[in-house]
Amino acid sequence: MPLIVKVSDLDKYFGRLHVLKKVSMDVAPREVVCIIGRSGSGKSTLLRCINFLEEPSFGTIEVDGIKVEIGHKGKARRELVHEVRLKTGMVFQEFNLFPHMSVLENVIEGPVTVKGMPKEQAVELAEQNLDSVGLLFKKDEFPNRLSGGQKQRVAIARALTMEPKVMLFDEPTSALDPELIGEVLNVMKKVAKDGMTMLVVTHEMGFAREVADRVLVMADGEIIEDAKPDNLFSKPNDPRTKALIDRYRTGGS
Amino acid sequence: MAESTVARDTAEQVAKGELLYQEQQRQTRHFRMNVSASWGIMMLILIYLFSGQNFLGIKTIQLDTEFIRENLSFIAGGIGQTLLVSFLSILLATVLALLAALGRLSTIPPLYALSTFYVSLIRGTPLYLQIFFFFLALPQLGIVLSGLFAGVLALGLNYGAYMSEIFRAGLGSVGKGQREAAIALGMNPRQTMQRIVLPQALRFAIPPIGNDFIAMTKDSALVAATGFVHEVMWRATRVGRAQFNNLEALIIAAMFYWIMTIILTYIQGAIETRLARGDR
Repeated sequence: MPLIVKVSDLDKYFGRLHVLKKVSMDVAPREVVCIIGRSGSGKSTLLRCINFLEEPSFGTIEVDGIKVEIGHKGKARRELVHEVRLKTGMVFQEFNLFPHMSVLENVIEGPVTVKGMPKEQAVELAEQNLDSVGLLFKKDEFPNRLSGGQKQRVAIARALTMEPKVMLFDEPTSALDPELIGEVLNVMKKVAKDGMTMLVVTHEMGFAREVADRVLVMADGEIIEDAKPDNLFSKPNDPRTKALIDRYRTGGS
Repeated sequence: MAESTVARDTAEQVAKGELLYQEQQRQTRHFRMNVSASWGIMMLILIYLFSGQNFLGIKTIQLDTEFIRENLSFIAGGIGQTLLVSFLSILLATVLALLAALGRLSTIPPLYALSTFYVSLIRGTPLYLQIFFFFLALPQLGIVLSGLFAGVLALGLNYGAYMSEIFRAGLGSVGKGQREAAIALGMNPRQTMQRIVLPQALRFAIPPIGNDFIAMTKDSALVAATGFVHEVMWRATRVGRAQFNNLEALIIAAMFYWIMTIILTYIQGAIETRLARGDR
């Protein structure tokens, strides 16, 4: 089966700092892959390179058959990057809902403005997705009237309404109060169950263990482990993985 | 905290709370009343100073009431022009300020340079000079502008340079995450600016633009110097000089500017309250 995401030999520098070192990874259709690792390990940067929120320094990104290589320049490249962004939905740590738009307006903004979808059709799709994250009754509220958990669920509905091939989650529960994390994880489980391909950067080991098909462990800009969650959590190969897992097991965060 | 576990206040406690609240309200009212009363007294003193009355050996200023009666409506006739000049100038200034702020964000060197060059040149020279430049210096090059046009151009260019900072702050107030969310949805730079960044930045900029409009109504008096815009200041100096009643004429003009400012400040306050109340 063709891969949905394929990253080959990705390097990323911030100035002189080398944050991703020849990283290669892939995600198959309907697969849920979690990326764990300490802060500064490069996991968010890897995720943000996939939809070009960060410009890769070297390497190739391929999303659902659209391949962007370093050699590509100018208009042709911009068009390829645009294609990639249409195929990826992104959920941010800080939600990033548009404060000047209602919940419904937030969710239809992408399809209407970017895809030129007729408004009625976008509203129908948006309402379906708001319903599936359990927030249809909040559609006319403005974001600042929602709790953090609700904001993140709207953000998930907003990304889903673009009908992406893969959803990228960048620490989606890290900015939430502990009692609100569960509702967001439940929505993410539901999205996974509905067959969405997902790449999730997270600190939630429980979620990774329960939902992920594969877990990637990152340290110092490299993927040091790539394994099924059961294997990874019971017998990690790398001492750094073991340290990471132990830290969460003892309740550190 | 579940509601059932919270003990209900007794009637006595409720009454105590009510008393405290009433006392707070009373103090607030008291303060406001005293401020209003003090304003009233200062206003009376000011009026008395120009009443021409002789009281306890203090001679106050005698104004030529006949001159005032005859020229009040002539000077008032300039209010429309004053507001017109201010309004047109603030429109021009807003557009220029927005362009300058966007230029300042541009990664295209000539645009960035144009923006900083404009702001530097205008802020580096006096407004009074700029008004004369458009009205007196340009005709030497064969460019003759009408008084209104020269005035609006000078005021608009001048305020635009200062106001570009307002828009810069407004654009800066929109977080990086907002742009990223827009980009991740597939928006191009123009859509991101139009749909996401500008609406939030403009909302931020509306109160300071209002402040500058109020300031502009007073600075518009400078265009009187061109002699061709018959606004409040021009009318006041004209009749004042002609009949050697500058004192009366300037007092009338000052009064009109002050009243305009009070009204505009009130409107500005109402707009700000509305913006603050809105959920957006």
